[in-house]
Amino acid sequence: MTDKIVEKVAVQTDESRDQGRRAFLKGSAAVAGGVLFTKAASAAEGGQYDPKKAVSTYAGKEEMTEVLQDGAARKSLGFGVRKYPYGMPSPYEKEVQRRTLEWLTPDAMASITMTPLQSLHGIITPNGLHFERFHGGVPTIDPAEHRLVIHGLVERPLIFTMDDLKRFPSVSRIHFAECPANGAMEWKGVQLDSVQWTHGMMSCVEWTGVRLSDLLKEAGIKPEAKWLIPEGADAAALTRSIPMDIAMDDCIIAYAQNGEALRREQGYPIRLVVPGCEANMWVKYLRRIQVHDVPAQHREETSKYTELMPDGTAQRFSWYMEANSVITYPSPDFKMQGPGKYFVRGLAWSGRGKVKHVDVSFDGGRNWKEAHFTSAVLDKAWTRFEVEWDWDGSEAFMMSRVTDETGYVQPPMPQMRELEGTNNVYHRTAMVTWRVHPWEDGKNGGMIENVQY
Amino acid sequence: MFNTKQTLLASAVAMAATGTAFAMSGSGDGSANGEKIDGKYAANYAEIIKENNGEYLDPKVIEAILGEDATYGRTGLMAKLDPANPYSFEVDDSIDGGNHGNAQCKVPAAFTEVHEEAAKNYTNDADFKAYGFGKPIAEEATKVWNITVDGDGNNLPDPSVGMTVEEGGELYVQFCGMCHGDFGEGAKGYLPLAVDGNLVTSDFDDSSPMKTVGNYWPYAVTLFDYIRRTMPFWTPNMPAIGDAGYMGMTGYIMQSNYIPVGFDDDGNPIELDYDTVYNSELLMKQNKYMKNQGNFFCDHRPVIHNERCMSDCPDYMVGDGKGNIQNFEQARLLPDGTPQYNVPERMHEDPPGVGHAGM
Repeated sequence: MTDKIVEKVAVQTDESRDQGRRAFLKGSAAVAGGVLFTKAASAAEGGQYDPKKAVSTYAGKEEMTEVLQDGAARKSLGFGVRKYPYGMPSPYEKEVQRRTLEWLTPDAMASITMTPLQSLHGIITPNGLHFERFHGGVPTIDPAEHRLVIHGLVERPLIFTMDDLKRFPSVSRIHFAECPANGAMEWKGVQLDSVQWTHGMMSCVEWTGVRLSDLLKEAGIKPEAKWLIPEGADAAALTRSIPMDIAMDDCIIAYAQNGEALRREQGYPIRLVVPGCEANMWVKYLRRIQVHDVPAQHREETSKYTELMPDGTAQRFSWYMEANSVITYPSPDFKMQGPGKYFVRGLAWSGRGKVKHVDVSFDGGRNWKEAHFTSAVLDKAWTRFEVEWDWDGSEAFMMSRVTDETGYVQPPMPQMRELEGTNNVYHRTAMVTWRVHPWEDGKNGGMIENVQY
Repeated sequence: MFNTKQTLLASAVAMAATGTAFAMSGSGDGSANGEKIDGKYAANYAEIIKENNGEYLDPKVIEAILGEDATYGRTGLMAKLDPANPYSFEVDDSIDGGNHGNAQCKVPAAFTEVHEEAAKNYTNDADFKAYGFGKPIAEEATKVWNITVDGDGNNLPDPSVGMTVEEGGELYVQFCGMCHGDFGEGAKGYLPLAVDGNLVTSDFDDSSPMKTVGNYWPYAVTLFDYIRRTMPFWTPNMPAIGDAGYMGMTGYIMQSNYIPVGFDDDGNPIELDYDTVYNSELLMKQNKYMKNQGNFFCDHRPVIHNERCMSDCPDYMVGDGKGNIQNFEQARLLPDGTPQYNVPERMHEDPPGVGHAGM
């Protein structure tokens, strides 16, 4: 069993490494410093593939001799087309779900679910697994009835139907959406035992829609307009104040995610996408954008989504999500399979641009090894990293640390806690630590534990 | 605290006295713009950032622009609050204490790529002409949707709309009390509205402060705006309550939080009476007296600027911050030694939440 898993991991790694290389060759200069192609390098030295040498790893391992038999799938017909007009994952994947912690919120309408990051691959979150955060439940809105109004400090207030919006030039961009409370439960100390709980208040999908700058210009935005107050059509009528510079930078009014219409949970029929910024600003069920000269100072930017410091002061308008990273494999959902080689992988992202380096430490932060990227490196998007690790079976403290293209280096938790205390709630973006228990002949069950410094 | 210009000036002077390091090449004579900030910041910050590949958060770049002492931790934060600092999110009138009006924040000038992109997409797009795919709409036609009130009180109902605090209290008990408590003390895990608590925590193990209207909310108008648009939870913006009812409820919550309507000649707070008719004029008065309003400052992150250390890193980056990797916290353990998680919340010893009640 162990061998099979490791073998599978190795194959995947070769494939994904090639993909990473192609992305690199396409000219993503930011990756240059970070990628190591050890295999390509040895091929260039003129060596030849030696099949005997290649399989020497398996020397001395017990050979399976029992003859393989056909299973039920081979001996009967499968189901036909249109059994599932909208496809479903295999029933064997039924544990891969969004999950919530019932003690977090008093009801399900103002609540949150987390994405099972431990079960995801690559950088795209399937639509059915995108994390959910509602302030007033999910409305089911008829797109034929839905309207978007842009008014306020504009020359020409305008109203748009869904058809109108889809007539505009479109953009498709892959961006992460992260609740600023991601990791909030861990400010005071370690509380949770899965990367789904510690980092799952975020997802990453391809958003398609209209540039917000196009729509604002369409309405003749006035020079004195400095802020936007977008508002949702749902019970929460969520509002945030968005400064004009961010609105005109790269915001999108999205009608699609991962190639299909937005899911209701993500704002069907349209939502605002504010790349790199708190997902609370990404107003769902968007029906109105008031163009304004001052911020609204509404509940979601004063009473909530402000960060309490130890001295009683609080930060407001915390727009950008800091660069952050986490190891998803191995992580507390997995068990170590014994000493040997592991391909440690995880996700890194930055609200301020592209990920530049990811380094991984196995000794609690004293020494670091640079990881390479197995996905494309995109602006304000998840980036998948991987690093080879020869585990000798002794206790290890695994951490990942991202550096983004602005030069910001992800800090360790004690440093962040010293400055920001433990009651901040939001933007807990320091490193986490996975403690790999010593192997000791399997005595500890290969346990990987979330601990905190 | 970080909310008075006086403090800032004092800190700026202190900082200037310690000198400024300009380590980067090509920063000319390293002179600052010299107007507001007294020789402290490099006027050519944009050049410095460009020369360093756009890495405006690299510690070396920040040092070259702000000076070494302005870079790190709390000290760095003080300097960043000065609106003229290219790394500041603050705008000119946002950091006065007291009645700060509608305090704004901005994207710092040093985030050059954001500004360049915005200029390209907007201010420099001279050729843009509307596609014409939308339909004109009269501002008047948005009036049912447009009931948002901003921090300045724009769009509040006319002062003739209101009811007494007592009547507002009756409505509150009818529509709000079951979730928020009849006196705003909270219920069923929903947010309390009027629990007075200290926001300062001195100890790691202090329980998280409860943030309510009285001790935390910076604007009173926000309360009216929020409850009128979103409450009661199950049927928001309820016609049976109406603007007068929402105004009365606001008055009741303000009273429950002991927000004064003014101060007498001796400086004692004048409290809101039950038989006072609460309206938008009183609300705007109270907007000035929110207890916590001077304690908000613009986001200043990041304040930690580490080097990307690869080997034999210094102790403050390692383990517990003192170099000890064995000094870690675990989840609470069950008697058999198994880690168990969130026991107080699951046992209903603690209210739901992530260090604050409810979300």
